[in-house]
Amino acid sequence: MLISWEWLADYVKLDASIEQVVERWALSGLNHESTQWVEGVPVIDLEVTSNRADCLGHIGIAREAAVLYSLPLKLPSVDLPVSKQPVSKQPVSKQPVSKQTVREVLEVENLFPEACPRYTVRVLRGVKIGPSPEWFAKRLRTIGIRPINNVVDATNYVMMECGQPLHAFDLDRVASRRIIVRPAADKENFQAIDHRNYVLDPQMVVIADTKNALALGGVMGGLDSEVTESTVDLLIEAASFEPMSIRRTARKLKLHSASSHRFERRIDPDGLDFASLRCCQWILQFAGGELLDGLIDTHPEPRLPSRVELRRSRVSRVLGIEVPWAQSQDILRRLGCTVESQEESLVALAPSFRQDLTREIDLIEEIARVHGYEAIPEDAMVPMVASARRPKDTMMFTVRSIACASGFSETLNPSLIGKTPIDRISPWTNQDPLGTFVPLLEGASNLRRSLIPSLIAARLHNQSQSNRDVRLFETANVYLSQGDALPKEQYNFGCIAESEPRVVRGVFEEMIDRVWGHEGPVLEERLVDFDFLDKGSSIAWFLQGSMVAWVGSLSRALVQANKIDGPVAVGELDLDLLLASARSVPKLRALSPYPAILRDLNFVVDESVRWGQIRATIEQSAGELCKEVVFREIYRDTKRDGEGKKRVLLTLKIQSDSETLKGEQADTVVTSVVSACAAQQGAKLLAS
Amino acid sequence: MALDQFLTALDSMLGEARACLETVDSAEALEQLRVKYTGAKSGALKSVQKMLAGIEGKDKPAAGKRFNEVRDGIEEALAQAAQRLGVSGVQESIGPSFDPTLPGLRPNLGTIHPITQSLEHLKEIMGRLGFNVTEGPEIEDPWHNFVALNIPEDHPARDPLDNFYLATAKASAPILAGRTTQSAQPARLLRSQTSTVQIRVMETQPLPLRIISLGRVYRPDAPDATHFPMFHQMEGLWVDRNVTMAQLKSVLRLFATSYLGGDVNIRFRPSFFPFTEPSVEVDYWWNGQWIEFGGAGMVDPNVFQAVGIDPEVWSGFAFGLGVERLCMRRFGITDIRDLYRSDVRFLRQFAT
Repeated sequence: MLISWEWLADYVKLDASIEQVVERWALSGLNHESTQWVEGVPVIDLEVTSNRADCLGHIGIAREAAVLYSLPLKLPSVDLPVSKQPVSKQPVSKQPVSKQTVREVLEVENLFPEACPRYTVRVLRGVKIGPSPEWFAKRLRTIGIRPINNVVDATNYVMMECGQPLHAFDLDRVASRRIIVRPAADKENFQAIDHRNYVLDPQMVVIADTKNALALGGVMGGLDSEVTESTVDLLIEAASFEPMSIRRTARKLKLHSASSHRFERRIDPDGLDFASLRCCQWILQFAGGELLDGLIDTHPEPRLPSRVELRRSRVSRVLGIEVPWAQSQDILRRLGCTVESQEESLVALAPSFRQDLTREIDLIEEIARVHGYEAIPEDAMVPMVASARRPKDTMMFTVRSIACASGFSETLNPSLIGKTPIDRISPWTNQDPLGTFVPLLEGASNLRRSLIPSLIAARLHNQSQSNRDVRLFETANVYLSQGDALPKEQYNFGCIAESEPRVVRGVFEEMIDRVWGHEGPVLEERLVDFDFLDKGSSIAWFLQGSMVAWVGSLSRALVQANKIDGPVAVGELDLDLLLASARSVPKLRALSPYPAILRDLNFVVDESVRWGQIRATIEQSAGELCKEVVFREIYRDTKRDGEGKKRVLLTLKIQSDSETLKGEQADTVVTSVVSACAAQQGAKLLAS
Repeated sequence: MALDQFLTALDSMLGEARACLETVDSAEALEQLRVKYTGAKSGALKSVQKMLAGIEGKDKPAAGKRFNEVRDGIEEALAQAAQRLGVSGVQESIGPSFDPTLPGLRPNLGTIHPITQSLEHLKEIMGRLGFNVTEGPEIEDPWHNFVALNIPEDHPARDPLDNFYLATAKASAPILAGRTTQSAQPARLLRSQTSTVQIRVMETQPLPLRIISLGRVYRPDAPDATHFPMFHQMEGLWVDRNVTMAQLKSVLRLFATSYLGGDVNIRFRPSFFPFTEPSVEVDYWWNGQWIEFGGAGMVDPNVFQAVGIDPEVWSGFAFGLGVERLCMRRFGITDIRDLYRSDVRFLRQFAT
């Protein structure tokens, strides 16, 4: 809202400097955007919050200043000898008011009161269109409004004065002298004064005659009924429109005007006639002519102001400070309320321009902001309360620490992705992704079902920047559709590395071990066959049928199609499942006081035998003295072992909690392991 | 070999070496003597050390002890001679040598994203003030995102184009028409604020409560240096029997002082939010200027009523702030889009 400092002085005489006043405004609700000098006049840009439609005109801003500085507010008087009642009494015969009444020249019919609850019209005849006086035009110019002619300028001036948008029609262009407020026809064409054509719909309100739409109600006038140099008779509209209807229209047509801006914020419903008369007064002064008596008003019933009760005790209860009761009452009165006060409570009748004051808390806010928030102390008591870190935060500290220690850097990526083959990677669900109507970024309107697509995109970005050996991780929700039920938001850890998948697997093993400890549930390991991973490279872990984590190498096809350099190991871990079994505190497991015996075993097996099979065989056959099976390495010696064979080196840790083991006891364990491996996996033991 | 024989050999070697080294008169001669006695391949000490293997087990400790004394004696005499002749140090035997000026072998460590660092920082400070971390879903219904927060159907914040409504086959037409409540399927949207969590917490948890909620929020916006359609918010809520605006101001001052590490002042400017009243913008005074912190206010009685809390008995305040702005100011980041580009040259700068 642009305010001319010079214009403002019409209503309030401020002694304070611009800087001081601007500061007071800012601290009482009118944010200062900027101050500029235009044609020698200071013009102040104030940000008006959406609840304060009363501040969308100079009078409203002046009122705020008057309240803050306890100064009188001088409102312009409208001194036209017309009857303010819509009922056409005998006109007062005093020029420039005509003996003719408005009802004799015009009819108004409101077919759309849902969008236009009140429509009023006055008529002026015999005006002479010409330029406005320079002082008047300059006021408009300084606040960025281009002067047009003495009629249009008057409507704009009054809007910028009291916030009520007005519209002037050329009466000769109103067919059959009949104004019809109606819904637009479907796909009705309308040419606005901006010379552009708009296609309307039946939710929009138009001001029409018997033939065409003359104006898009509350938004913009039409080109056909525009006031031109040849206009002689005028129709001045002052109406109220429903905020939601105007907002929808302006938004849909991308047509935002000073008028729609105000109607969207609900202007003073009782201020229509004042604005209308004020406008007529300027026109009569600058353009001559005569005003027909009376006005047409589609909704003349007076509006009852709401009575709002304020209890004295509530002020300090909310604010934490005492505001003297007399001062509270004074603030409300200065703001325009009628106050009936008692010792412990009061009733305030809010003025019509303050439609936002309907509840006790609204009055308390007014008292607080005018009294000044600087009066509220910033060292009040804040009692202590028990509070602890959540298990989730403890887990996340562990998870992030392990990721960082393993060389992975954290990234954050948008939750919505596109529709490329990479974006279709979906290891957690077969359901289609959830989508949004409005894309988050260009082409990104699908909610992620996996973190991997974003991580691959991140890898490619780094590759394009020649950043080598990139390891990245992200922890974020993935969104899994559940049919008609609420979508599942699953908190995942995902990572990508320029390495073999064992690196990722190791990270997950460490996370699970540390978060669960030795008390945690036993996971079922399964080879999986995801189409986006290399066949045979991928593995997953399950708990009671639910996948907890998976790891693999991105498929050759995707690597080649996306021109990714180097190996791509990826994996995801469901942190919600990880958290579900997290231990709160590690608990000591007693150490055996007896020494362990370590036995290295070197098996020759077929290439197809996997470590998991060997480990399972050992775990089944070794007995409880075998505390640990440690993988050492795999190597191949085809000269000695032949093609298709590999050597698997491992160590058994054999230990008892109750005695020092003898070598023979360890030998027994080794013997049963060796024979089980031979029988089940065809493993041959090499002499060490 | 007998022990006494070995000891005699040692003693005579020490005597001879000392005699020679006391009289040596050139660096070259000294180097010859060094090689003769302490050379790594065939020096006299090396030969004697080999004889040590032949000593009987019980005599070994005594022999070894004497050997060490003799070796030290010879090395001391070498050092004295070197000092007398001004020869700097005695050259080590030939072989690959360690270069201590080489760069260290550094562990390859990852880094935590600056936004995560900021979120953890906020959690830590607010945790000390007694605010527990809570969470809620990112996909919300209009009740939690709007209705319960006192944002009525006709409020501009509910405009379909200002939110990320989920597209479902059945719901599409009514949502685009702006009427979300009558659609066949309940409308869903990505939350536009973390205030939704307030509602979920007040609906389910016993009072009093002091919570914060942090997380991703979504609002359509063309990305530029200061805008991104996805960002993070922290929302705080304190509901108790006698919570006042003075406590709001005090908690925010404690927060700002903790965050900035110096005593700071707080300023309230009146503002308007549907879910709080009175509503204020909060600034803090830092480095000679007022800096915008976020929005705050007393929980609107309509919000309390929506979740079945009696506003006559309970009062509360709420505040919210954008994490990106705090994070960018703290780390000197000038373009919000850099936070979401995953460039490791960017990410690695925030290692702590």
